Amino acid sequence: MRGWTISLLLAVMMLSQVQADAAGVAVVNCISCHTVLSGRLSTPVKLWNSSIHAEHGITCNACHGGDPADSANAMSPARGFRGKPAAPAVPALCGGCHMGVLKHYNESAHGRALTVGGPTCITCHGSHGVVSASIELINRKNCSKCHSYTKARKIKNAMLKTEGMLKAIDKKIAVLKVQGVDTDKLEKRLFALRNRFHAMYHSLDVKLIVQESDHIQAELKKTSGIGGGGTGPLVGMLAVAWALLAALLFYLIKKNLD
Amino acid sequence: MMLHKKLYNWIDDRLGMHEIINEKRSGYLLPPNVNAWYSLGSVLLVIFALQVTTGLLLMLYYVPDVDKAFSSVAFIMNDIPLGRLVRLFHAVGSSLMIVVLVLHMLSILFMGSYKSPREMHWLTGFILLLMAMGISLTGYLLPWNQLSFWATTVATDGIGTIPVVGPYLVELLRGGKMVGFKTLGRFYTLHVGLLPAGITILIGVHLFLIQRTGVSTPPFGLEDTSNPWKEEKFKYEDHPGGIPFFPNFFLQDLISISLYLACFLALVFFAPNLFLPATANLPANPYVTPAHIKPEWYFLANYQTLKLFPSEIIGLIVQVLAIAFVALLPFIDRGAEKHPLKRPFFTITALGCILLWIGMTVWGYYS
Repeated sequence: MRGWTISLLLAVMMLSQVQADAAGVAVVNCISCHTVLSGRLSTPVKLWNSSIHAEHGITCNACHGGDPADSANAMSPARGFRGKPAAPAVPALCGGCHMGVLKHYNESAHGRALTVGGPTCITCHGSHGVVSASIELINRKNCSKCHSYTKARKIKNAMLKTEGMLKAIDKKIAVLKVQGVDTDKLEKRLFALRNRFHAMYHSLDVKLIVQESDHIQAELKKTSGIGGGGTGPLVGMLAVAWALLAALLFYLIKKNLD
Repeated sequence: MMLHKKLYNWIDDRLGMHEIINEKRSGYLLPPNVNAWYSLGSVLLVIFALQVTTGLLLMLYYVPDVDKAFSSVAFIMNDIPLGRLVRLFHAVGSSLMIVVLVLHMLSILFMGSYKSPREMHWLTGFILLLMAMGISLTGYLLPWNQLSFWATTVATDGIGTIPVVGPYLVELLRGGKMVGFKTLGRFYTLHVGLLPAGITILIGVHLFLIQRTGVSTPPFGLEDTSNPWKEEKFKYEDHPGGIPFFPNFFLQDLISISLYLACFLALVFFAPNLFLPATANLPANPYVTPAHIKPEWYFLANYQTLKLFPSEIIGLIVQVLAIAFVALLPFIDRGAEKHPLKRPFFTITALGCILLWIGMTVWGYYS
């Protein structure tokens, strides 16, 4: 039985490697092995599949280290495998990529409580099924696990308008995109503003959030004016009217001639 | 004497330009009962000229490469002054070219102008329609968007239903099993080189034929509406006491052209997405099939016919027979009568076929 399992694992690994090579993407043996394992060993993969990390191609080794391309040594400490990070190490680990957030977090009440069992990134965003920063994460159920919801509600209310503006511009970009408008610059600008805004969530400083929200809202108002690319209805009406007038003029000349 | 007058006289002394203009314009007489439908040929010439002009402008920035085609079109649309307008002129113009071509052919059909000695006029016109559909099909792929990629896949799939040679023809057209970079290269060559050259030559032949035989007399407002040509030797159909082409009918041409431009500009400015839906603005992705893949609107009837029959080969045979019948109509319909109301069987059958084509197109769109 054990022999069959190992054979099956090897076959899956080889197949996945061939498929991945053919598609020209990085080989991630962690996923192919853990997918076919049972119980708690496969759960992380299931969770990861629906995560924001999976959406952006951030795989297991980004947090756990190791060599995902070499199945034999994938979990070797010599290849940088660090296993499950300890809770106090989580903010620094995530902050390796999310630098702006780390700064705000470290200065917040959450960050200051880290050494006494305070919340880390995974408390709100999850570990394997990582969810992106959104205002929906601030809710009574989540926050009341550790403290009262009063201050969290204040923060959420201060951010609601800006979040609404971000979503509205997102929708506008989607509409412009299908109209053939180049939204690349607009998307990059929005990405930077959204990051700045979402990083600020983590400061937990209501005064700062209100102040910064006003700045970001002013920036977003400028951003929402970008786009379009059409000529507007007036030019169209003038063009059509010009053609119709020309037809009428030629008709009158012809009638006169006939 | 003004400089341009001097120049005109200089050329006229050497080439007799005035004589040509007088003979071919004012001296070129059309039937007294000529109607506005006769101006559709001129409208088509303007459309073709507009397509060539906008096509050349697009070629300045378009890159026929699968990695750059979509972004080069996006660049034209967003960064080149008036680029969006030029692209829309070209895209909307290609569809309207088919519409006006079909209207032109229908007017010829119902007025019996295809009858002897104008078999070759009809045949060249019909080939021009097929070439216009070909140039639109090949141009459709060039922006390399989701719509064009998948519509081309469906349209070229249809050719694969031809027995024995079908799969080879598809591979020849695509340059491989799938629509890819080789297909783009082939379609680009056809679209900007072979087909425009072929269409230009055929337009020349079509105009030459009209010049040689003279313009046919419409069957309306006359007592005798039969074909005046009695299978004799070559005879130019002249129209003594008719309407001079210039300036009289030239003004009718200008009216029709202006009305066409009004419709064209209305579509360009107020309904551009009719011809460029959302999927036309997303880059081609061979791994993501859109929910409803359809060929261009003028292939929808063919597409639906193929789906209607239990076997694709039967659907294909039916279509080939129908196309051959229409192409060879002047050789099949040898009756002398031209007036549509005096040949009710023909008129009812033709109207039925048109309704069937429209019905199949609508069905194909909603299927």
